[in-house]
Amino acid sequence: MSAREPSHTPLSPHTEGEDDTPLIELKGLSKRYSSAGPNAWALKELNLTINTGEMTAIIGTSGSGKTTLLNILGGLDRAYEGSLTVEGRELHTLSDAELSRWRNQEVGFIFQHFHLLDHLSALDNVLLPACLAKGEARAQLDGVEDRAAFLLREVGLGDKLSSRPPQLSGGQKQRVAIARALLFEPSLLLCDEPTGSLDSETGEEIISLFQRLHAQGYTVLMITHEERVSRAARRVIRLEDGLLVSDELTPHAPSTDNKEP
Amino acid sequence: MKRASLSALVFDNLKRSKTSVAMSSVGIIVGISALVFFVGLSEGIKEVVLKRIFLIEQVEVIPPKVGFGVSQLNALFGAGPANERLTDEMTETFKGVEGLEGAYPKMKFTFPAFAYGGKELLGRDVRGELIADGIEPALVRDELKAKGLFEDFEAPLACGGEGSSECAPGARCVEGQCVTLSCDPKTDQLMSPEGEQITCDAGSYCADDPKGKGGHCLPPIPILLNEQVLELYNGGLAVALGRGGSLPKISKGMVEGITFHVGLNRSAIMRQRGKSLKRKLKIVGFSDKAMQVGVTLPIGYVRRFNQLFTSSDAAQRYHSIILKVSDQRFFPSIVEEVKRRGLALADKTSNAEQAAKILRTVEALFALVSLIIVGIAAVNISQLFFMLIYQRRREIGLLRALGASEGDLKRVILSEASIIGFVAGSIGAFTGYGAGALVDLIAAQLPRFPYKPETFFIYPAWVWPVAVVAAVTFCALGAYFPARVAARQEPAEALTQ
Repeated sequence: MSAREPSHTPLSPHTEGEDDTPLIELKGLSKRYSSAGPNAWALKELNLTINTGEMTAIIGTSGSGKTTLLNILGGLDRAYEGSLTVEGRELHTLSDAELSRWRNQEVGFIFQHFHLLDHLSALDNVLLPACLAKGEARAQLDGVEDRAAFLLREVGLGDKLSSRPPQLSGGQKQRVAIARALLFEPSLLLCDEPTGSLDSETGEEIISLFQRLHAQGYTVLMITHEERVSRAARRVIRLEDGLLVSDELTPHAPSTDNKEP
Repeated sequence: MKRASLSALVFDNLKRSKTSVAMSSVGIIVGISALVFFVGLSEGIKEVVLKRIFLIEQVEVIPPKVGFGVSQLNALFGAGPANERLTDEMTETFKGVEGLEGAYPKMKFTFPAFAYGGKELLGRDVRGELIADGIEPALVRDELKAKGLFEDFEAPLACGGEGSSECAPGARCVEGQCVTLSCDPKTDQLMSPEGEQITCDAGSYCADDPKGKGGHCLPPIPILLNEQVLELYNGGLAVALGRGGSLPKISKGMVEGITFHVGLNRSAIMRQRGKSLKRKLKIVGFSDKAMQVGVTLPIGYVRRFNQLFTSSDAAQRYHSIILKVSDQRFFPSIVEEVKRRGLALADKTSNAEQAAKILRTVEALFALVSLIIVGIAAVNISQLFFMLIYQRRREIGLLRALGASEGDLKRVILSEASIIGFVAGSIGAFTGYGAGALVDLIAAQLPRFPYKPETFFIYPAWVWPVAVVAAVTFCALGAYFPARVAARQEPAEALTQ
């Protein structure tokens, strides 16, 4: 995967729509917090497959295990039981350096609290993953500043390149975080309560941005506790007390086919 | 992580925490400045003590110290075997010892002498008892400003042939040998065979013939002074001899080239019978190897005068042998060799040995104190980084989420610590140097005292890189554990805090 020139297509068409290629496969995945007691399961025996190009929402109440699941899927938490394969690779088997490289290149994180560095400009925040690129990924760094600027323009922040996060609104900050997540055209976008810190109107804008990304072929997996947000996804997985209680397609969810180009 | 990116991240982090970093750097600055200050001071004191007061570059061997036995009593009166041991043969045996550049005998005057003169320098003539010894000119040949200044001009010298030397002023080459011209000491005039009177050559004067028959044109006897003589004079004698005032202070440059008169086998304080001789002495330079209180002549003169005024035996017995050390590392083994041969060390050498040990100990203590200060500062640096890591834990979690490996985080933190160490170490080294300069400035205002140096500080070239490397090392060590903690922090946990 190579960083695209700004002159190419927008945010980046990854693949055209959904396919049946499994991107993520969970088999008997469990997670237990030892500090909370021997039977304190955050996740229990999850079996799940997420295909490339899907837009999936994981919904659940607080403490249902959804953030824990997102951390495990993103390789931020390796203390789990069971099997987790991403694009055929068992995450357990990767070294710290390999896992770091994978997070850098293949995963885009979008957090509820944005996690931008206040002392850096919007452009520098977007470029942060480029600072951490290693090995072959460095070959993608030619023109990466142009791509970062392009991404910021695409999310509607073309006039805010040099603005620092404290000068931006919540929605603008989340857009910067989205641009940062897209820098290396990752195969998986992981969104942790992406609208949780935004008002409903701004939240809608962000959700439609995710739908646009999905339309362009990104695999989007977002966790939320809001039904309204989950309805934007085509597939909704419900967690309760660490157990997967439902996994269904939303009938009214917009499909990939009728997204704007 | 790209080096440029790493640098940007590191400098950015330091910029954000500049107040905490500056506060934590103070300890490093103090420690390193103390290290540089103490090393400079130790080296400066060593220079004075070991190169001017006690000479570590040479070992002076003397006959065994006299005890209370009969044989020692004999030695005391010059009849025993001990004094006889310092001969040319003994000198030769030292030449094969490892670490020695050469062995040179030293012979003292065995008769009284007095000197008078100094009007051109002091404003009036001064008279005093003269203590003198003789050394081989080769021992100091490299130290003097010009060649041929400190030589035995009265030694038999071949001339006229290829590669032979020119005769000294007042001598002529006659049948392949330099022969001094005859003159009349009373009129200081040269006597030609025809009875015509001509002045001696420039650089020579009409000196008494030792046999009491007229005189010979001779150059003044070259002598060397030890700088200590000047120190003693300027530090006290100038006032003591000043008759209520003070004689002028003199410097090395003022003294060189000065001549004065000497009465050999005559004393300034007691009447002396027997033959005597008047000569002129000329100060040709300064050397650490010259007598500390007295003057030093080429040994040939001393040998001839001792034979003339004392005995042939006195002209063959040396008072000490100077062993010139080529490498100071061999100083202890040479000292051991001297003791193994049953010989003793002159007080000066013994003192040098002791002084060297004391100075090394003091220097090591100073360095230890400085390193303890830097070590404590490193603990402070460690605390700083633990605090910074706590403050930045979400940022660290974010970096992990964006692709930073454990190694990347360690590199970032250790680089920050190294930069703090480099900057603080450099400032510390500069501060230490500045403190030394300040001490010198204050010392310059103090009254002159013996051996008062121009500077109390000598900084060896290694001190600068060592100071900076020590600061960087201690800072990196201090930051190592915080870096490990940061690297092992669970990113998921850090992001949720």
